[in-house]
Amino acid sequence: MRFATDTGGTFTDLVVEGDDGLWRAYKASTVVEDPVRGVLDALELAARDHGMSLNALLAKGDTFIHATTHAINAVLTGRGAKTALLTTLGHPDILLLREGGRPDAFDFTVSFPEPYVPRSMVREIAERIDADGNVFRPLDESAAINILDRLRDDGVEAIAVCLLWSTVNPAHELRIGELISERLPGIPYTLSHRLNPVPREYRRASAASIDASLKPMMERYLGSLTRRLNEEGFSGRVLMVTSQGGVMDADALAGAPINVLNSGPSMAPVAGRHFAGREDGRDVIIADTGGTTFDVSVIRDGRIPLTRELWVGLPLLGHLTGFPSVDVRSVGAGGGSIARVDTGGVLHVGPQSAGAKPGPACYGRGGIEPTVTDAALTLGYLDPDFFLGGALPLDLAASKRAIARIAQPLGLSIAEAAAAVIELATETMAQAILQITIEQGIDPERAILVGGGGAAGMNLVFIGRRLGCRRIVIPEIGSTLSAAGALMSDLITERRATGRMSTTAFAFDQANRILETLHQECAAFAAEQAADPADIDYVRTVEARYADQAWEIEVVLPVTQFAGADDVAAFRRAFDAEHQRLYAFCDPASPVDIIGWRVGVACRLKTAGAKRLAAGSSQAPARPSRSMILPNGVSCDAPVHRWANMPVGVRCQGPAIVESSFTSVAIDHAAFHRASDGSLVIEL
Amino acid sequence: MNQRPTLSGARLAVLRSRIDGISRKMAKALTRAGRSGVLNRAKDLSCAILSPGCELLSAADSLPIHVLSGPDLMARSMHRFHPELRRGDAFLHNCPYNGCSHAADHTILAPVIDDDGVHRFTVLVKAHQADIGDSAPTTYFAGARDVYEEGALIFPAVRVQQDYRINEDIVRMCRARIRVPDQWYGDFLAMIGAARCGEQDLLALGAEVGWDVLDSFSDAWLAYGERQMRERIAALPASSAIASSRHDPMPGTPANGVEVKATVRIEPEQQRIVVDLTDNIDVLPCGLNVSEACARTAALISVFNALGADIAKNAGSIGRVEILLRDGSCIGGGRHPASFSVSTTNLADRIVAAVQIALSAILPASALAETGAVNPPHKGVVSGVDPRNGRAFINQLFLGSTGGAASAHADGWLTYSHAGNAGMSFVDSIEMTEMHHPIRVLQRRLVMDSEGAGEHCGAPSLIVELGPTLGSIDIAYVSDGTLNPAQGVCGGLAAGPSSQARRNAVGVVEPLPAWGKLSLAPGESVISIGTGGGGYGHPFRRSPHKVRANVLDGRISRDRAQAVYGVIINSDGALDLAATQLIRREGSGQ
Repeated sequence: MRFATDTGGTFTDLVVEGDDGLWRAYKASTVVEDPVRGVLDALELAARDHGMSLNALLAKGDTFIHATTHAINAVLTGRGAKTALLTTLGHPDILLLREGGRPDAFDFTVSFPEPYVPRSMVREIAERIDADGNVFRPLDESAAINILDRLRDDGVEAIAVCLLWSTVNPAHELRIGELISERLPGIPYTLSHRLNPVPREYRRASAASIDASLKPMMERYLGSLTRRLNEEGFSGRVLMVTSQGGVMDADALAGAPINVLNSGPSMAPVAGRHFAGREDGRDVIIADTGGTTFDVSVIRDGRIPLTRELWVGLPLLGHLTGFPSVDVRSVGAGGGSIARVDTGGVLHVGPQSAGAKPGPACYGRGGIEPTVTDAALTLGYLDPDFFLGGALPLDLAASKRAIARIAQPLGLSIAEAAAAVIELATETMAQAILQITIEQGIDPERAILVGGGGAAGMNLVFIGRRLGCRRIVIPEIGSTLSAAGALMSDLITERRATGRMSTTAFAFDQANRILETLHQECAAFAAEQAADPADIDYVRTVEARYADQAWEIEVVLPVTQFAGADDVAAFRRAFDAEHQRLYAFCDPASPVDIIGWRVGVACRLKTAGAKRLAAGSSQAPARPSRSMILPNGVSCDAPVHRWANMPVGVRCQGPAIVESSFTSVAIDHAAFHRASDGSLVIEL
Repeated sequence: MNQRPTLSGARLAVLRSRIDGISRKMAKALTRAGRSGVLNRAKDLSCAILSPGCELLSAADSLPIHVLSGPDLMARSMHRFHPELRRGDAFLHNCPYNGCSHAADHTILAPVIDDDGVHRFTVLVKAHQADIGDSAPTTYFAGARDVYEEGALIFPAVRVQQDYRINEDIVRMCRARIRVPDQWYGDFLAMIGAARCGEQDLLALGAEVGWDVLDSFSDAWLAYGERQMRERIAALPASSAIASSRHDPMPGTPANGVEVKATVRIEPEQQRIVVDLTDNIDVLPCGLNVSEACARTAALISVFNALGADIAKNAGSIGRVEILLRDGSCIGGGRHPASFSVSTTNLADRIVAAVQIALSAILPASALAETGAVNPPHKGVVSGVDPRNGRAFINQLFLGSTGGAASAHADGWLTYSHAGNAGMSFVDSIEMTEMHHPIRVLQRRLVMDSEGAGEHCGAPSLIVELGPTLGSIDIAYVSDGTLNPAQGVCGGLAAGPSSQARRNAVGVVEPLPAWGKLSLAPGESVISIGTGGGGYGHPFRRSPHKVRANVLDGRISRDRAQAVYGVIINSDGALDLAATQLIRREGSGQ
């Protein structure tokens, strides 16, 4: 038996994979002050459902996989450890100056963001290494020791070290690490070149600072999680979900906790890849609609692309981690997004949200502002008596009153105004999808759109139409997509190195040495994890660019070693093709510079079961058809299908509504059916 | 107003989002695919979409100085020179006598022509180039007496693509004159690519929603901007104010520099704002003159800075601002062959300041101080031969300029760059700078006690020290703000000035002129200080807790905290609130 939990801001999701290979999903409230409590609460629910004691349930488990927002919340609220940053002499303001950029050229109400480590906690180390790795100024050890001793007196709890060009010559950073161990034993530290070997000092400093600041608390958290699970009878393996879309052992994670920063959202594409199927290598867009945010990720050529440009908090105002992470974009649009009309008569939807409290007007909890959910209810996409399986009765009249607040200034009827809200929310979400697909070189018209999250069904079909997608898939596990993804994920690790070279003067020995070293390190990791080499996958990528470009793109190497000019030519072709794909042109005459190297390894965990939900015990009665108004204003009579009762493979024709106790999917004239894996498939 | 289909406020919002999405996509493509550091590391670029009537519709994510005015003028000259536009045409435009900001801003204009041959939109892609073939290795040639001495190749809307095929004659001309031609060519391809990407998306949008609907959108969107602006101005007091800002003296300017004067008149009944820039001196025999596009844009920047971020920046809202220029003036009235080489920054920033200070006097609730001036050596154009590979290089450095002015709402932005940029560009990392060029950046840090003091503080100055690693390098720069630092408003104080000095091989520091081409040999370095931004409000009104935080952060000394802010911080870092209140009471009585 395996367990996967995803601790989100509101709910802690749990998916249990039974010995029968089937999944059962549970949701408990997240306990913010004690997140492990929320996990145990969800496990209690599962134990009761299985007719067992918690102890008996946990005793049957061999693997516990956990995703958590604990770390990212600490970064957002500044609750990390008291952290010092050590930088090269002359460069104390790396974190303060960042990489520039401003959200709005004309907005003078927004303050410049505070650095992650305050200026008062930055110390300059007398040393300097040049771009070629030569020591320009030797490390002044006694000055460094002085600084460390004073930091100890200041009560520092963690230390980040980011020296210029440590990626080319790490000697000074390594020595500082030794000195920290000597002078401040027990104080955790992070060396930038080890954690995140990438040129651009801000990205290393930011990653190292965030990582160091998380070490004390994540060590406590992981210790507490493992101990309490053990106390309740669990003796299996505890794995943590990482930002890179894999899992790693809890012990290993404690050494580099930045890996867990984006752990929940990174699992949605893992699940999405599975449910989209791998037919004809089509790309996949995964859209997760929640109450306040809309998260988008993609699968490109079967791979989950990584980005170094993940923002914690708002873009340009939060913190750029600079650390590789699954590319997930988030916009402030969801079921709770509020619609308003400005003084110029133009409609806006979001980013303000009614949240869980008071929530949409139809929740009857005091909300009066019109939200996307109110619009969906007004248009008939939701059943007021069967929302969340009837758990939350909705007040249609309240929704209409709320919508009336915008209908009047827009000069529209209530139905028209509600349709406009859905259309604009759809457009905002479509723009979020376009942004990531443009940057990842994906054509939405040829991609499969996979939907998750409770609010997905309200407008996923309309988003698909807007983008020209041909096929939409909504998995039956959709409301707990991330936890399901965790059950399918591989144990991964990766090794990176910098090594700059040009295709015009290719350093074969250096390239092959780097690749071999990285490969050996990954192989050593894999050997401990998987007995069968068939369960081990390696991927070799480089970050490269045309000579004089500033931004690298990641390209999969078509070879394992560079034997001769043909192999370099093959890489070149792969690079040109990727550049063409991303930017619509390539320059085969220009030299290509490789900057960074990476070998990743993925070890398949124990083969999962059916990847299906166990059939529900209760057969809900069929609901009558109801009137539905599409965003284009066309009104129609829509039959209501109960998801669980739909026969597999039988093609139906919209308009229709498909309902389950987690979502309600509004379908226009598209054809749809239930696939053999339980998913709802809609063909546009 | 017209017979086109009417659009609701909802439909308008959707189409606006789609059009803005297209201009953002163009900018994104260009940033990532360009070659020169000025383009792809600093993002000194803009993308815009115009109506067939040459009205600005969208310029999401652009640099203000590039787009508020200029695209309209350039599109008009494209029509004038090429009355017949065909699908597949693209034009290269950098002519400041026909609407471009300055010669360094190469611009691609591409008309969007539908299947019936009707001109529907014009897309515009503008990017500051690393080099444009000036007679000296710089794109900011302050010393140029005229366009001949400046020497840039000038392209007044020259057709560089026909039927989507590049005119290789022009490419060869550029390659023969522009330094590091491969770098220029890479940027050129990226610009054409971005323009085509915008064109294709607009064609697809027209096919999807109908061209008549897009025509209605253009009308309604401009009307929306105009309506917002009319309402905003109608609520302001009828008033006027005069203010000025002075640029430091340089060769070609009067001995005491150039005073830029602006009169701002708010006319709520006519729902318009008049910015009068006519009372300014004649064209200068140097590259500091401001082109018409930049003079208009600089005035517009200040107006929009004061009126709020929520107003749509399009031809509708812009039309409510009347800008008066004088023929023959260095502020927007110059004609061929005057040089506009440095048009986008130095004097243009002083126009922004003059208008902004006048507006701050009229509208204290949305006051904004003066932004720090540029371009110090660490933002200059660096060139030489890279000893590591024997290749020539040239590029503008973007090692950061703080400069942000304090507003009535917040402290100044720390990476504002300059008034026309508004913080939109990126800042170069030390490592990428050193990887691309044979230089070593020895220090980059805020300068203590250099902020424009006030209730809200302007950004402090930034000091950058750099030198060559192996061979010698040249740096061309035009640093304003040594004598005339950024002014404060509403009782706020001026910021720290700029300065530049050379540290020679034995460590002796000697001052450098504010302008010039500097050669540095290995072992030497330039110590470059860029200006901070002016403060807002009397410093005694600044929260003592903020002052204390600044002291603990090493931004302000304890002495300055006491002398300027009237805040007593004890040697242990604690705030002495009682003593502070006493000092502030006594001080405010003076």
